[in-house]
Amino acid sequence: MIDLAPSSTTEFDLTFSRVTKFYGAVIGLNDLTCRIGPGITGLLGSNGAGKSTLLKLASGQLRPTQGEVRIGKLKTTSTSAKRLFGYCPDVPNLYEEMTGEEFVRTMCALHGFPDDEVRDRTQAVLQEVGMADRAKRKIAGCSHGMRQRFKLAQALVHDPQVLLLDEPLTGIDPGGRQEINDLLFRLADKGKSILVSSHILHDIEMLADQILVLGRSRLVASGSLSEIRRLLDDRPLVIEIIADNPRSLAAELMTFGQVLGCDLQENRLRVRTKNASDFYVRIQDLVVNGRQTIRQMQSLDEGAEAVFEYLQQGKHSS
Amino acid sequence: MNSLRAFKTLLRFSFLRLFWSVNTMMVLLPVVGCFLFVLRRGFGKITPPENAFDAFGTFLVFIFSSFLIPICALGFGTTALGAEREEQTLVFLLTRPIPRWQVLLAKILASLPLSCGIVMTSFALYCLLVGSIGLKAFLIYWPAMLGMTIAYVALFQLFAVVFRHPTMLALVYALVIELFVGNLPGSIKRLAINFYGRSLIYGLGITEGLKTPRGFEGIPAAQAYWTLAGITGGCLFAAFLLFQWKEYRDTP
Repeated sequence: MIDLAPSSTTEFDLTFSRVTKFYGAVIGLNDLTCRIGPGITGLLGSNGAGKSTLLKLASGQLRPTQGEVRIGKLKTTSTSAKRLFGYCPDVPNLYEEMTGEEFVRTMCALHGFPDDEVRDRTQAVLQEVGMADRAKRKIAGCSHGMRQRFKLAQALVHDPQVLLLDEPLTGIDPGGRQEINDLLFRLADKGKSILVSSHILHDIEMLADQILVLGRSRLVASGSLSEIRRLLDDRPLVIEIIADNPRSLAAELMTFGQVLGCDLQENRLRVRTKNASDFYVRIQDLVVNGRQTIRQMQSLDEGAEAVFEYLQQGKHSS
Repeated sequence: MNSLRAFKTLLRFSFLRLFWSVNTMMVLLPVVGCFLFVLRRGFGKITPPENAFDAFGTFLVFIFSSFLIPICALGFGTTALGAEREEQTLVFLLTRPIPRWQVLLAKILASLPLSCGIVMTSFALYCLLVGSIGLKAFLIYWPAMLGMTIAYVALFQLFAVVFRHPTMLALVYALVIELFVGNLPGSIKRLAINFYGRSLIYGLGITEGLKTPRGFEGIPAAQAYWTLAGITGGCLFAAFLLFQWKEYRDTP
């Protein structure tokens, strides 16, 4: 089992045991085994990688075709388990006719709290997500970022032990992202288990202590941020360089151990390298020492897709 | 935390959401249209009284029970759950600590008073407009109208559980399939709720002068009651069973 919380086992750990999910003949998640404990765990993957399937299994909306998903000892499909988690779905629509406050209050009341407690919790959570001053607005007139915050509020309002957030930062401005990140850090410090999905590496890097990387419905990598970074450092990368003297540069680069090959097209040099971090340090030395003049340099496959593709290849070859 | 309180909240929320929806207005439009029709037609003035009863009975069969009842039933029966699916808000209910069967029960209990309330109130209103003949018709037919409404609501709830866009399908079913199938010769007409409703109305009204149209071969009223009860029970059972197990992936 991949243990993303080895040092801190709690009674509310989210556990996937050999979980496979089929949608008819299509596989949504393939043989996932892991345990997610307190702290922030990032769930990274390109579109269609299986992130939402994993979160829907964790929130009991889907039943696994094989294996089981539990929060503590409870199956996530059970009614009791639903008291333990808060789920923020990746859907654009809320109850459009309601105000944000009415929406959060109704979602809170559906947990069975008494009226006065519903009122207090609603006010507190709206304050926490930074929407107290805009709570009386009709949801129909709210921006995407405001909707995201109301969705987050409804997931937090019953003070769950486990938070399942499906792309919660989509559509939120940088300032807002920092506020939500700070909120999630505070919750993690209180011992909550938080699983956040995103297809953007940077979002997850900013947030998560531990990362699960999904690709084509499989877990392709997992571990701490530094472990994932080490894996990514080893991946081959194509870097395009525009230099004053590309031929001479190519000759020098070929002496680098990290360079796998160079391809000259007019004045553009395409370099295939492994261990990009080391490569960048060495090419920086060349420039600083005045031996080469570089006008432009860019990585051609830095996108999330390329990262997942690489990790997936590693998974298959291992 | 209290499960009963959560259920009551969901029931109240579902009822108010339906009541204040555009569907209420959409349903009330044909109700008002029929009111104006009854007012203008002046059923109470037709003589002799047997003919008045027959004419009002014909209105109840061909307009009220074939058109107005299905519209009222689908306006709330399908929408109670169907709107949550179409608007992708069902996820917020399914991730609350409320058993799935209670979610569906709340939706059914929220839609029934609205559908039945509008059907029975408008029926009573039309009967009042007609006068003593209308009063007699109300006393004879109210169980048939109520039975049909409940059967339609149950059927349309099943539609909402099964189909992703149930409202359009229910509309086509109510206005095309029901009328078409219900008027086919042979035993295929028995697939339509409308057939049992008409059998009930003709069966109950025959003693008061309601004439059964030529070619319509209904079934005895008691059998029609039981069949409507069976359809209601069967649809609700299937809806609860499917809703308990169905995985909703209505997200884009």
